[in-house]
Amino acid sequence: MTKFLVWIETKFMPPMAKLAEQKHLKAIRDGVISTLSLILVGSFFLIIANPPIASWAEAIAPYTADIVIPFRITMGLMSIYASYGMGYSLAKSYKLDGITGGVLSLATFLMLTVPVNVDALLPEGQGIGWVLPMGNLGGAGMFSAILAMIFAVESLRFFKNRNLMIKMPEQVPDSVARSFEALIPGAFVITIVWIIRVLLDFDLNNFILSIFTPINDILGNNLIGVLVPVIFITLLWAAGVHGMSVIGSVARPMWLVMLDANGQALADGADPNQLPYIAPEQFYQWTVWIGGAGSTLALCILLLFAKSVYLKQVGRFSIIPSLFNINEPLIFGVPLVMNPILAIPFILAPVVTTTISYFAVKFGIINGFVSNVPWTLPAPIGAFLSASNDWKAAVLVLINIAIAGAIYYPFFKVYDKKLREEELGQVSEEHTIL
Amino acid sequence: MKVVMVCSGGMSSAIVVKAILKEADKQNFDLEMIAVGSGEIEEILKTSGYDLLLVAPQVKHQFATFEGYANEAGVPIDKVEPMGYTPLGAPKTLLQIKKYSK
Repeated sequence: MTKFLVWIETKFMPPMAKLAEQKHLKAIRDGVISTLSLILVGSFFLIIANPPIASWAEAIAPYTADIVIPFRITMGLMSIYASYGMGYSLAKSYKLDGITGGVLSLATFLMLTVPVNVDALLPEGQGIGWVLPMGNLGGAGMFSAILAMIFAVESLRFFKNRNLMIKMPEQVPDSVARSFEALIPGAFVITIVWIIRVLLDFDLNNFILSIFTPINDILGNNLIGVLVPVIFITLLWAAGVHGMSVIGSVARPMWLVMLDANGQALADGADPNQLPYIAPEQFYQWTVWIGGAGSTLALCILLLFAKSVYLKQVGRFSIIPSLFNINEPLIFGVPLVMNPILAIPFILAPVVTTTISYFAVKFGIINGFVSNVPWTLPAPIGAFLSASNDWKAAVLVLINIAIAGAIYYPFFKVYDKKLREEELGQVSEEHTIL
Repeated sequence: MKVVMVCSGGMSSAIVVKAILKEADKQNFDLEMIAVGSGEIEEILKTSGYDLLLVAPQVKHQFATFEGYANEAGVPIDKVEPMGYTPLGAPKTLLQIKKYSK
């Protein structure tokens, strides 16, 4: 096991970490993260629209369409926000003007959706002019937004590097000069997308979606695919690196697409336990990462009963943060990092709880996950809210804590005994354990 | 002395910072310290004169990025040892901080 951990640290982790720090992926991560607070707000309205008690649900049914409007404007348009944020971040990383990059990225993305005029279908005099169909502006358009952003900002960079810009004399204010700087790259980018989308009538949104839908199906609905992020994240943490921050930057766009698809389905009246995707990020957050990565709340409870003085102390200072899913004090305290004994349950417990939760959602025993609620909520509460007010989801969390505890127990016992013996053997040198 | 510690979300480092501040208080060491997430650190470094940037162990893979920001702002940068990143490790990390005090 020690050899394996060394292999992870020296061979597996560096390329993964490098990938997460790659400029485009970083821009995607920043852009996506910038939408999270809006999604949080939108989710809140979705939760209100789906109360846990049937009589309440009936009472608000006539108003549901109105209640979910904030959801449609936040999550339903999230690719618009992300598009600007990603373009801003990528431009910044190239030392270009962030606002120009963001605006150009957004325009390029919007060019992929063709406005329509539906006045002919409406009663005389009630025309609404040109409208932009929303279908591809939410999660479904995320990958188009990413591609459009890369094309737009890379073009901006290309023209800037070759000095193909319209320069203004120095007396012109910065903001005015900036808008002219984007003129040539903007004309180039918009024209190209216009040719592809309008003249050639090639629906890039649908094309990209048709490529990514199978990937999403594997990552969201296939047990092996659902387990892959769990294994990668725990392996990285076992080597001491924030697994979620590495894997999340690659997988988060896909998780958000799933969350959006689930939310849209629910807002459109689907059964809360029959949603399109099993495993958006919130599935892991609430049913697997209970207490933090590695399902460590269960371990933390065991630590409180440790014989080793040191482990007991770690349990005491970790329990409160653990209840709110912050487990770094525990991970670096125990330590779980590069720990050949505890690495096994650290990986195994989440794999088992993921599998159980996967089937619980798949068979409709608990609701699917639709809402993004703050990750620092205690897991039963978070699970309840995120699975559209389902108390059974909270029960599943408790079951999963018990199962994780059972998996950790034998390994915890061995490790506790080892530390206890060391403590008895060298009371005076206790700090060597530190 | 003004120190900033960066981790992924600024949550876990807040716990460590609190423990370090308590330890500094005990030792009568004048310390001003905050915890931030990896998304905010670039801006924070630009604003006010920090004497040291500490990088939490779980984001060591982003060290090169942080180093870029720190160099730009002219702030020394160092990694926190895994064992220094717990409330119990606070004295150890404080010792590390003191090495940078002028």
